Amino acid sequence: MKRPTEHRSGRAITLGTAAVLLVGALGAARTEIHGQPAPTPAAAAAPSEAEARGKRVYDTHCVECHGRTGRGDGPASPMLVPRPRDFTTGRYKLRSTETGSIPTDEDLLRTVRQGVYGSAMPAWEKVLSDADIQDVVVYIKTWSPRFATERAASVALGAQVPSSPESIARGQEVFAKLRCGSCHGTDGRGTGAIATEFEDDRKQPLRAADLTEPWTFHGGPAARDIYLRFRVGMTGTPMPSFAGAASDADMWDLANYVVSLARKPVWSMNAEEITALYAREAAEAKADPIRRGKYLVDTHLCAVCHSPLDRDGKIMPGMKLAGGQLIRVLPFGDYPTCNLTSDKETGLGRWTDDQIKRVITTGIRPNGVRLPPFPMDWSAFSAMTPDDLNAMVAYLRTVPPVSNTIPEMTRPFLPMYLWGKFKMLVLQDDPPIMFYSGNVGTRGGAR
Amino acid sequence: MKKFLTWAFFMVLILAAVAFCAFLYFIPPFFIEPPETFSKAQNDAAPAVADIADPAERAIAEHGRYLVVTSGCIGCHQMPGPKGPQFDKYLAGGLKFLTHDGTYVTRNLTPDKDTGLARRNDDEVKRVLRSGVFPDGHVAPYRLMPWGSYTNWTEEDRHAVVVYLRHLPAVRHQIPEPAAPSPFRDPTAFEEVYGGADYGGAKGH
Repeated sequence: MKRPTEHRSGRAITLGTAAVLLVGALGAARTEIHGQPAPTPAAAAAPSEAEARGKRVYDTHCVECHGRTGRGDGPASPMLVPRPRDFTTGRYKLRSTETGSIPTDEDLLRTVRQGVYGSAMPAWEKVLSDADIQDVVVYIKTWSPRFATERAASVALGAQVPSSPESIARGQEVFAKLRCGSCHGTDGRGTGAIATEFEDDRKQPLRAADLTEPWTFHGGPAARDIYLRFRVGMTGTPMPSFAGAASDADMWDLANYVVSLARKPVWSMNAEEITALYAREAAEAKADPIRRGKYLVDTHLCAVCHSPLDRDGKIMPGMKLAGGQLIRVLPFGDYPTCNLTSDKETGLGRWTDDQIKRVITTGIRPNGVRLPPFPMDWSAFSAMTPDDLNAMVAYLRTVPPVSNTIPEMTRPFLPMYLWGKFKMLVLQDDPPIMFYSGNVGTRGGAR
Repeated sequence: MKKFLTWAFFMVLILAAVAFCAFLYFIPPFFIEPPETFSKAQNDAAPAVADIADPAERAIAEHGRYLVVTSGCIGCHQMPGPKGPQFDKYLAGGLKFLTHDGTYVTRNLTPDKDTGLARRNDDEVKRVLRSGVFPDGHVAPYRLMPWGSYTNWTEEDRHAVVVYLRHLPAVRHQIPEPAAPSPFRDPTAFEEVYGGADYGGAKGH
């Protein structure tokens, strides 16, 4: 089978092929002259063979999120929290090196091999060969000039304090002293936190880790992983380094305390614990419907259609949930997606709660037009509990307004409409549903 | 008399044509039933979890069922038929997607050991839901298999979905592997979905 991502566009193939050929030719020339492969650190010189191989791996597996230019702006990126890494800055969260420095090769390899828990970054060691992973790390380092000029050295870890009730108790004091609770909550779950939703240095959304769920810790769940995050911080995020504020022993105690906060995951629970967990989640959803609604909107595909797309299929900047994607349902007409932001004139601002719920659950718009059951999946949403529906509406009310006037749905020319239906009903032809890039709304230009 | 008969014959023909056009015009697009009936049939088609012996597994699967039903898996993974969706083959796949990257048919999500998810371990299924990375290493565009949305599920919700999928009745339904891109009906379109026929069984369009 052909790797589908390899031929995203003809131009990309040509450019990619040219680059590979060029790199191959240079590599061959160097080998002839020196009789050995090019030396690895010379990033300013011609690309090495490993780099060329790494580029191929990158172009096949990484562009969907990290983008063709390595800026972390691939087509999928607007959907993801945390956002994919921008390789051009040389700034990395998961390091074993001092704050502000570049990570070691081993840090990068580890991230690619194991993935980033609690994000969309998978453990590539399950899919790619280790040689591929080493090559791709060589390649992603070429995005930033910092790797050519700076040296990375892991910090010396202080002597590990083994976990014990005393260490955990001391860790709890450190937790209070360093005010970890202002972001992570006094219980590690965000309770009493000043805020748990943040932005990173690129103004991208980010949330504070829930310390009771170690399977979501980006850097890993072991005490050593947690210690490292305190020791060197997470560059670009509000998580600072505590190297000056706490001793090594303090940080190990704190790591032991954080490990001790872990609760059982659902896959290790018994039936009573599972029931209690789901009851707790339902109670929390009721107490904070906007948070629950955001979760529902984020996981129920809303933004996939209700946002205008550029040619790569990426949501246009700042237009998430602003509608304007054109969906043509042959032979029934063009259905531009609605603006779901809270804009009074062009979005849901003037819709009543009942009107929103009615279209979500029955596909009947306020003007009486009925939507087909696909791609707007109102029949699936009709199975949502009333609480979840209310939460979804409550969250949609809080989406910042974006003005984007969406045209009404249009029917095709009558004879075409009849001919289409004739083909569908009598000739049993299979009518397609077509998705278009661009924005048919008033903002962002037509396709 | 003969003239009248010819005239009447043509009148009947024209009337029939007009009636047929009116029929085509007024027959509702896609569905006949009111939305509630349509939804109920679809949502009741999701197999219940009452038969699962282990109570912990049952509780998780119940949660997974809610997620699967409300998240629209059925919108793409339901095998269509000439008389509407074949709910007896719940989530057995079969819709065709044309994209500029290739032609895809939605996979069989039932735990069939030769054609379905029984061939994949939990990690592999979760990796598709979390990262769009398939066992052969290819990365699906985030909006085709919309993992860009499902990646936002908590790991526990994702687990519940997989547990529920493991308890679906197995349906044998071979799905063709992704193929080279097909020409689009409208080349300016970004992607096209064909949902009227069953594209499992490696049939072409």
